[in-house]
Amino acid sequence: MTHEAATASQPFVMDTAFWTATTIFLLAYAVIVSEKIHKTIIAVFGAGLMLVLKILEQREAFHLEEFGIDWNVIFLLISMMVIINLMRPTGVFEYLAIKSAKWGKGDPMRILAIFAVVTATLSAFLDNVTTVLLIVPVTILIADALEVDALPYLISCALASNIGGTATLIGDPPNIMIASKAQLNFMDFIYHLTPVIIITMVFYVFAIKLIWGKNLKTKEELKKRIMAMNENEAIKDPVMLKKSLVVLAMVLTGFVLHGMLHFQPATIALFGAGLLLLLSKTHEPHHVLAEVEWPTIFFFMGLFIIIGGVVKVGLIKWMSIQVLNITQGNLFATSMVVMWFSAFASAFIDNIPYVATMNPLMVDMAKQLWPDLSGIQLLHHVDLMPLWWSLALGACLGGNGTAIGASANVIVVGMSEKLGKRISFGKFMLYGMPIMIMTVVISTVYVWLRYYVLKI
Amino acid sequence: MKAKDLMTPLQEYLRPDNTLKDAVNLLRTAKRGEERVGVKGLPVLDENGKLVGMLSMRDILKAVWPSYMSLMDLGDFTWDGMVESIAKKVADKKVAMVMTRDVMTVRGDASLMECVDHMIKKNVKRLPVVDKTGKVVGMLYERDVFFAITKAMLEENSSMLKVEGSKFNNKEDEGEK
Repeated sequence: MTHEAATASQPFVMDTAFWTATTIFLLAYAVIVSEKIHKTIIAVFGAGLMLVLKILEQREAFHLEEFGIDWNVIFLLISMMVIINLMRPTGVFEYLAIKSAKWGKGDPMRILAIFAVVTATLSAFLDNVTTVLLIVPVTILIADALEVDALPYLISCALASNIGGTATLIGDPPNIMIASKAQLNFMDFIYHLTPVIIITMVFYVFAIKLIWGKNLKTKEELKKRIMAMNENEAIKDPVMLKKSLVVLAMVLTGFVLHGMLHFQPATIALFGAGLLLLLSKTHEPHHVLAEVEWPTIFFFMGLFIIIGGVVKVGLIKWMSIQVLNITQGNLFATSMVVMWFSAFASAFIDNIPYVATMNPLMVDMAKQLWPDLSGIQLLHHVDLMPLWWSLALGACLGGNGTAIGASANVIVVGMSEKLGKRISFGKFMLYGMPIMIMTVVISTVYVWLRYYVLKI
Repeated sequence: MKAKDLMTPLQEYLRPDNTLKDAVNLLRTAKRGEERVGVKGLPVLDENGKLVGMLSMRDILKAVWPSYMSLMDLGDFTWDGMVESIAKKVADKKVAMVMTRDVMTVRGDASLMECVDHMIKKNVKRLPVVDKTGKVVGMLYERDVFFAITKAMLEENSSMLKVEGSKFNNKEDEGEK
């Protein structure tokens, strides 16, 4: 039945290739969700199968935008990692964290709120895992100094990083992928997502005050420990710090202007990484490059090829038809389904493979709706835009729902366990799920009001 | 020269369920030969005498060192009394939770160069010497190997060796682990 519906617009057959590719895709995702084997290994092996079984030609996987690896995503990720790896030893992140704690005047609740805002802001520009790795150690130190429970700081750090990461193109991998697929630029994200994230953060700060405010009390003499810390001691390499800040400012300016300058974001980031490597005068780039999170990069590359395979055989197209059947072509309903389904899906499965699947699905859906359009006119169709934003909001904010919903959560829970402060799956969900629902409700109101009522 | 010729026969050891409080006290007062001079590391044996780990002074330092300190350079932002207060908190932890589990051992008939090789490659300063059944019979300390090297270097000058050698014999093994 659905097969026939598909053949109406563009024929494809459910042949051996279709079922082979679908089987590889489903098995790969099942094993990724089960976590029995490392996700990167599965992604790379699945990609290998897609190629060796001739579902995809190597040329298609490596060189075609439609089916292959999205090198824009890969190089943007690698370049940002290189820039951060070069900046980290300067001590700038320690400086920032200690400075924030002092802004809080040693008051545990104020520090919690300030850390939430700082984490969200950093996450908007760095990858969430990096931010969490930079903030969590300091927050535990501060909690120890104030002799208060570190748990609120740990959980809040993960939640705030996922919220903040939603705000910009480079904040969270789903956004990077969406931007590349939908050809959206940095300023599009600032214009469409940053406002709702700022509103969300205001609500978030009130929420954490409500949740933890009562129990976060300390003695006056312990506050002195915080005020006695000298953040300037954190700066280990002032010369490199200056160079890094100049390059970072250039990169951010480049991101702001990349749409106008007709550069892809990866071009800006790669140039920044290259320039900072040059300025660092390192003779041994080995360790800086080795610190790139290669498992993540290979996970992306493998996934892109697996998805390319199922796009080519038509599975994704078939799925997009199902979505449109459910919502009967009503785009507001579709946008709400996309947002809420994405949120709950991302709470339980990795949002990277999820968005990698949803991206081509959205494009196929658009092709069903507007068969005469193509290219940028199709991708930026005024009725499609709210769907991209709903996907981004749902997929990024959904990560807060459970302890496994986002990489930042996994890192925080892992670090807490090592420190003897175990956060169980249930405990994380107790805080994460209500926050996720709150933030998605805010996004729902925002999308409805902005794109379907005010239409701005 | 073989490991068994240079080793110190096993005198003191810890159990995995000893508390750190017990452990530091034994490290402080352990016998070396006839004297209670303390040592920097002891083997941990289970009830069957099987080697399950080593506990060194470095392990004790690690026990009071919060693991978040390894992630960032936070040494500048710590406060007076931090180590002492953590030390009190961890005093009742079990040795099993703190000891180094992956222990490099040598057989009694291992050559001296094999021992040196392990010490350098594994960055350890003491090697438990085991018999055929895996039972610990003694400990070979870095200083024991050092003394053997010293002896080889200064052999022709035996008077010098006597003075220096006796001095080394009373000195604790240097370094950690």
